[in-house]
Amino acid sequence: MSAWTPRILAILCNWCSYAGADLAGVSRMQYPPSIRVVRVPCSGRVDPLFILKSLQSGFDGVLVSGCHPGDCHYISGNYVARRRFAVLKPLLDFVGIEPERVQFSWISAGEGERFAKVVAKVTDDVRRLGPAERLVKRT
Amino acid sequence: MTIGSELRDTARRLLSEGTVELVIGWRRGSRPTAAVPAFVTDPEEAGSLVFDGTCGTNPAVYFTRDRRQYSGRKVGVAVKGCDARAVLQLVMENQVVRDDVVLIGVACPGVLDRRRVALAACGREILELEDRGAEVMLRGAGFETVVRREDVLSDSCRGCPHPDPGSVDLLLGTPRREAASGEERERRVREFEALPPAGRWEATLREYGKCIRCYACRNVCPACYCETCFVDQNDPRWIGGTCEPTDTLIFHLIRNLHVAGRCVECGACARACPTGVDLLLLHRKVAVEVLERFREEAGMDAGARPIMASFREDERQEFIMG
Amino acid sequence: MSTAVRLDATSLDRFLRVLADAREVFAPVAATDGRVEFARVRGGEGVDSSRMLTGLSPKGLFFPEAEVLFRYDRGGILPVESPGGPIAVWGMRGCDARGLALLDRVFGSAFQKPGDERFEDPYWKSRYDRATIFGTVCPAPLSTCFCNWFGGSPSSTAGIDVQATDLGEAWLLSPVTAKGAELLMTVDDLLSPATARDVEASREIALRAQSALPPPPSLEGLEDLLTGVFHEPAWEGIAAPCVQCGACTFSCPTCHCFDIQDEDRNGRGRRIRAWDSCMFGIFTREASGHNPRALSTQRVRQRVMHKYSYFPGNYGEMLCTGCGRCVSVCPVGFDIRNVLLELVSGAEGEGR
Repeated sequence: MSAWTPRILAILCNWCSYAGADLAGVSRMQYPPSIRVVRVPCSGRVDPLFILKSLQSGFDGVLVSGCHPGDCHYISGNYVARRRFAVLKPLLDFVGIEPERVQFSWISAGEGERFAKVVAKVTDDVRRLGPAERLVKRT
Repeated sequence: MTIGSELRDTARRLLSEGTVELVIGWRRGSRPTAAVPAFVTDPEEAGSLVFDGTCGTNPAVYFTRDRRQYSGRKVGVAVKGCDARAVLQLVMENQVVRDDVVLIGVACPGVLDRRRVALAACGREILELEDRGAEVMLRGAGFETVVRREDVLSDSCRGCPHPDPGSVDLLLGTPRREAASGEERERRVREFEALPPAGRWEATLREYGKCIRCYACRNVCPACYCETCFVDQNDPRWIGGTCEPTDTLIFHLIRNLHVAGRCVECGACARACPTGVDLLLLHRKVAVEVLERFREEAGMDAGARPIMASFREDERQEFIMG
Repeated sequence: MSTAVRLDATSLDRFLRVLADAREVFAPVAATDGRVEFARVRGGEGVDSSRMLTGLSPKGLFFPEAEVLFRYDRGGILPVESPGGPIAVWGMRGCDARGLALLDRVFGSAFQKPGDERFEDPYWKSRYDRATIFGTVCPAPLSTCFCNWFGGSPSSTAGIDVQATDLGEAWLLSPVTAKGAELLMTVDDLLSPATARDVEASREIALRAQSALPPPPSLEGLEDLLTGVFHEPAWEGIAAPCVQCGACTFSCPTCHCFDIQDEDRNGRGRRIRAWDSCMFGIFTREASGHNPRALSTQRVRQRVMHKYSYFPGNYGEMLCTGCGRCVSVCPVGFDIRNVLLELVSGAEGEGR
C-alpha cells in the first residue's frame, strides 16, 4: 500500500495557472510529483466530461486551475467556468463521489509558491482518500 | 367546458383561419395510461386532441428533432407549464423563432406516473383510465378502483414550481394549481443528501444499473439537440457504449450537466425510461443548485442569456480553493 | 412425446433449487419497483411466474446487451473463456420462445448454409444450444398482445422444450422436445403423473386465452404490399411522433442488430459486441459522414420494412412474434399494429 502515490490530473489555463506552474519550476520550488499537466487556453474550455473521463481512466484526483476572476485573458472565460464547477462539484458529492478528488483553484502567473502549495494540498487530500475506485473503469 | 374541448376548439379555429399550418398536441393512443403526441394539420382532425393527466410528453422536443423540420412553418403547440418554459428556453437559444409559434397554454393538473398507476392497479392491466381531477379511476378485466391523484402523480409534478404556463399566446383552463413550495420541490433531494456518501453511491449505482442505454431520456428531452451527442462521438471516444456502470453513470452525469440551467424538470425523461430509472432526482438536484446559487431558472425569460453562459461577478465561490 | 407430469405449486421452489444445483437457471424475478425481469436464480424466492410479460425480452440471456468477444494485448488475442454447463429458463412466454427460435435462424447456420459451422455465431450457439426452455401458457393476453397475427398463440410450443401450465394448485409440465423430456427425468422425484383432469384443465386455459385474443386482420401478402407502399407519403405522418430512441428495439425479442466496439488502453483491450438500434440517428452514418437514413422517417420505415418485408423475404417468417413490448414501452406510444393496418388499408384503398 505504501507503494501507491496519488496520480492527479492538473488542467491549467495557459495564461495564468500554467505560467504560475512554470514559475514554480524555474524558482526550484519543491512540490509533490503527483500531477500530470494538461494545458488549456482558458479554464472556460474545461468540459466536465474531461474531469469525469479522467477519474474513469484511473486518475485519483483532478485539479482545475484558472485565472482569478477579473483577470481572465479572454475576459469572462473563468466566470463561465466558475458556474460550471459550481454545479459539477455538488452533483459529484450528491452521487457519493468524494468531493476532495475534484478541486478548483485560481492561480495567477506570478503565484509560483501558491501553485506549489495548492498541489501539495490536493495531493495530501487525495492521498488520505486512497486510490480512486468509484468511477474507475477496468477493461 | 373541459380543457380538452377548449383545446379542440382552439386548434380547429387556428387551423381553419390559417394562423398555423400544424398543431402539435396529444391524442389517445393504445395505452389508456399515456396520451401520445398528435400532429394535426386538418381542422377536421382537431377532434382527436385531448388534454388530461396522461399527457406526459414534452411537445417542445419536436422543434429540435430531425434538422428542425418545422422551422419556417407556423406551428401551434399545446403546452403545460413546463413545456412552455422548454419552448421559451429554445427561443432563448435561437432554436425556435418565437413569432413562428403559437403557444397554447393549458392549465395543467399534474401528470400521472404510469408506473405508480400500474402499482395502484396491483400489476393488473389497466384498460381504461378516467382523470377526474382529485381522483383517478382505473378499470381493467374484473376490477375498478379509484385512487387519489396525489398518490399517482409524477415526481416532477409533486414539486412543480411553475404549473401554469407563462408567456403563452392563449391560456386554456383556469389556473388553479399552487406552485409547489421550495420545500416540496427539494424534499427528495434533501432526503437523498441525508444518506451517508457510501449509501448515496450504492443507491446511485443500483438505480442507474437499470439503465439499458436506449437514450429514450435524451431523445424525448427538448434540451438535447446536439447534432452529435457526446456519447456518439467516436474520435475521441469519450465513454463506452455498453451498460458498464461507470460508462452509464458518466453518461447521465454529463447529460445532467449539459442540460444544467436549461432543464425545466418536466419529467418527460423519467416517464420515457423503459426500466423506470429515477432520472428526475439528479435533474432536480442540479436545478435546485442552479436556483440557489444563481437565483435563476430555465425558460423563464426568452430574452435573457442562457444561465450557464452568463455570470455575476460576485457569485459564491466557496468551492474554489482560497 | 412422453406424457405430461404434474408439479405441486408448493414444490416449485425445490424444483428450481434442484435444477440450479446442476445448471444456470433463469426465471422472471420481481423487483421492488414493480418491474419483473429475467435474472439468475438459485431457487423460487422472488420468482414471479404470473406476470404476463417481463419488461425486457429474454434475448439478453443468449445475446447479451454487451458481450466481450475476446481480449487482446500486444502479444495477440486472448480468447474469452465462457463457462460451459447446461442452462434452464423457467417462465418464458410463447412469443419470447418463438423469438429466440427466430434469432437462432439468424445466428445459426440453417439459413445460409445448413450444416456449415463456419456461419454459426459461436457466442449465441454455445449458450442457446445448452438451454432447456420452459414455456408458460398465457392465461390471459394483454391488450397489447398480438401473437396470433404472425402464427403464434398463447399456447405456442415453438422454441419451447417443456410447456408449463399454471393450474393453480399445481403446474402441468408437458415435454415438447426430447431435451425437455430428459430434463424432467432428472427431477422426477418431485413430479407425479398428470391426471386427465389436469390435462383437460390446461386445454381449457389455452382455449380461453386463445379466444380472448381479437382475431388477426388479414395480412395476406404483407411482404410484397409493403414494398409497394415504400414511397408513400403516409410514412411522414407515421414517423412524426418517433423520437428515435432504442426502447422498442432493446425490449424486442427478435431485434438483433449489434455494434462491435473496441475498448483499448495503450495497446491492450477488449472487443465487445453490444446492442445497436436502427432507430439511432447514427446507425447508418458512414465513415465519410454521409448518412443514407438521416431522417427519422427513413429509419422508421426501415424498421417496419425489415421486420415485415425484408426478413420474411430472406427467411420466410416475419421478424415479429407479436409480444407487444414495443407498444407498451414506447415513450410516444407508437403502435406498430396501427401502422401495419394503416399501410394495408391504404394500399388496398389504392387498389394495389
